Amino acid sequence: MLYSTDRILTTHAGALPRPSELTEMVAAKANDLPYDAATLDEALRSAVADVVRHQTDCGIDCVNDGELSKTNFTDYVRWRIAGYETRPSSGARRLSITARDETKFAGYFEANPRRWSLSPRTMPVCVSELRYVGQADLARDLGNFKAALAGVNVAGAFLPANTPGTIEHWMLNEYYKDDEAFVFAIADAMHEEYQAIVDAGFLLQIDDPDLPDGWNCLPAITLPEYRKYAAMRVDALNHALRGIPREKVRLHVCWGSHHGPHHDDIPLKDIIDLIFRVNAGSFSIEASNPCHEHEWRVFEDVKLPEGATLIPGVVGHCTDFIEHPDLVAERLVRYANLVGRENVLAGTDCGLGPRVGHPSICWAKFTAMAEGARRATKTLWGRF
Amino acid sequence: MRVSRDHIATSHVGSLPRPDGLIAAYHAIEAGEPMDEQVFQRTLGAAVAEVVQRQHDIGIHIPGDGEFGKPMAQRVQYGAWWRYSWQRLSGLEIGSAPGPFDTTPRRSRPGEVVLTTFGDRRDRSRFAEAYADPESGITTGPRPPAPVCVAPISYTGHAAIKADIANFKAAMQAAGAADGFMSSVAPGSAARIGNVYYKTDEELLYACADAMREEYKAIVEAELTLQIDDPAIAENWDMVNPEPAVADYQKFAMVRVEALNHAIRGLPQDRIRFHLCWGSWHGPHMTDIPMRDIIGVMLAINAQAYSFEAGNVRHEHEWKVWQDARLPDDKLILPGVVSHATNVVEHVELVAERILRFANIVGRNRVIASTDCGLGGRVHPQIAWAKLEALAQGAALASRQLWG
Repeated sequence: MLYSTDRILTTHAGALPRPSELTEMVAAKANDLPYDAATLDEALRSAVADVVRHQTDCGIDCVNDGELSKTNFTDYVRWRIAGYETRPSSGARRLSITARDETKFAGYFEANPRRWSLSPRTMPVCVSELRYVGQADLARDLGNFKAALAGVNVAGAFLPANTPGTIEHWMLNEYYKDDEAFVFAIADAMHEEYQAIVDAGFLLQIDDPDLPDGWNCLPAITLPEYRKYAAMRVDALNHALRGIPREKVRLHVCWGSHHGPHHDDIPLKDIIDLIFRVNAGSFSIEASNPCHEHEWRVFEDVKLPEGATLIPGVVGHCTDFIEHPDLVAERLVRYANLVGRENVLAGTDCGLGPRVGHPSICWAKFTAMAEGARRATKTLWGRF
Repeated sequence: MRVSRDHIATSHVGSLPRPDGLIAAYHAIEAGEPMDEQVFQRTLGAAVAEVVQRQHDIGIHIPGDGEFGKPMAQRVQYGAWWRYSWQRLSGLEIGSAPGPFDTTPRRSRPGEVVLTTFGDRRDRSRFAEAYADPESGITTGPRPPAPVCVAPISYTGHAAIKADIANFKAAMQAAGAADGFMSSVAPGSAARIGNVYYKTDEELLYACADAMREEYKAIVEAELTLQIDDPAIAENWDMVNPEPAVADYQKFAMVRVEALNHAIRGLPQDRIRFHLCWGSWHGPHMTDIPMRDIIGVMLAINAQAYSFEAGNVRHEHEWKVWQDARLPDDKLILPGVVSHATNVVEHVELVAERILRFANIVGRNRVIASTDCGLGGRVHPQIAWAKLEALAQGAALASRQLWG
């Protein structure tokens, strides 16, 4: 477990800027277009080394591989599980994280259509027993990350993996008898990836935007219904995490990182108990954008699970303005005063790479976060 | 001027989303197409009536005319607040000389602060690739050809301001709005144009001050609150390259403040509010001057109330500056509690939290909840209105906490 023992440590939520040539190759591979496998492998290896160094240069203490091999944080699972077939589609997902906002802001979404991901515009449909087949891809990611970490000095290293509830957003089920059986089957498949990341010595970050943003996918659902919906998916996630010590796991939740209004995101207070029901030792929560910034007050009433740490987002993807380090510090101190300084790490609202206007914005936000963490440390410990 | 007597009053900075019909009309005028003046005025008048009614309906206590009389021919447009002055001042020639992005950069030296070109601004230089990337989102809409002063400047916008006032007053009356504000550009911001006529920058500045005074007078005489828009006071800092000493910059900015005070001399102070911002484009804003370094300059302006950005991540922490500031007892502040910097709509509780921070420092009667900058042209219309609703609801929530 990583604690801010004598200063506020910094980390982030995942995706980082990727060289455009690499993005083109990742997209080509995903869409069965021609690409050179050896060139891709080499570009990936070198980009992961660069992105790790870039993080440490910016003052990030707990780093990752920037998710550089992946089409995005969830679609990558398409190439790591079997048991589905693909059918033609518009490219829209089965569940849309903007569905609830679209009921009030149709004009906005019409004027600002969301970008398609790099993945093929097809709909995966589960038609047989799901099983994990991503061993080679995963081994490549683990190897690249391990190699990139040689010779750099970091406090921690994490790798993200997606959750059953989010995978369910883009896969239809025609095989399992009901949603629960389907979600638990995804969990069984993903268990292998989770276990392998931890076995490789990394901190496993579980990316679970679904826990809050399932609410946005289901505009008509009531709160009690939603809590039931989310609880089942948390149970499936815990099933997938079985046998893994909670201190090896951190959970990342966000409300879906699109740049829309987020007018009716579910309040944190309505799901915080479900978030803490996940068998994780550390909780990364979107907290810096104006829809969720006020929710630091939730921790006036809610205690962290014993031994757990909190990673509030103190810089975000929702604006290209760079957070002022004093604002970052103010946010961190607020949390530290509520949950204890050693239990707070500085984080980001979501992966910044593909979500801010330019790579230079991402790195400037990291630098601001690190400086803000230093200023918070000064306030909290009386020294740098 | 309205104060927050038994609840937090609400207002905003000015620009509101123009209806498509009005944008189309301005587009036609800009393209030189024939336009029946009466038809245009009817379109404008109806649009102003509607936008004032809507502000009133959602709980904006001090509405504006949305700046609808200031031409905007595109949905995304950041510059209408000052470009309108090009059509209300004589002595300008448009498009005959290189614009402010194209001329040669000017370097400042210690003790000698000069504005460089827009293209040579420091944030723009530091994040050159981000600014140059058309997909980065740092867009401010099209850049029309810029003017150069080639002859004496005087105010020629009497008919335009008269129409603006008439439209707005009629709209206020129809909506039952007792208070209203109208924005007008400050000399310091109006004077950021090319100049081949006046001998010095200062002469040009004072010529703008004397000319714009006509518009200021018209607004206050109509018993509206005059809002002076002068981002140049703060954002010129980024337009001085290399970064100057703070004291040098304060001296430079004070020249603009004195010109503004000259322009509003003798006008009733309780009809004047001042708007400061750091430029509303969606860039990193790493080179914004800190509020603590500019607050003294701002408070030297002879206005009754001060509006400033406080709702975005670059300036949100600066509420603390007011703990040490000497705000005279009779003056008010209008902090931005919702912002154009993000599409995410501010949560009502966050709006209330921000208001309370200011109220606890300067007193609840002296805070009017406002926006960082004008929302029209900067965010989608649906987002703009949702933010104004959040502003009104947040102010109501803060009022309950402050007055019980």
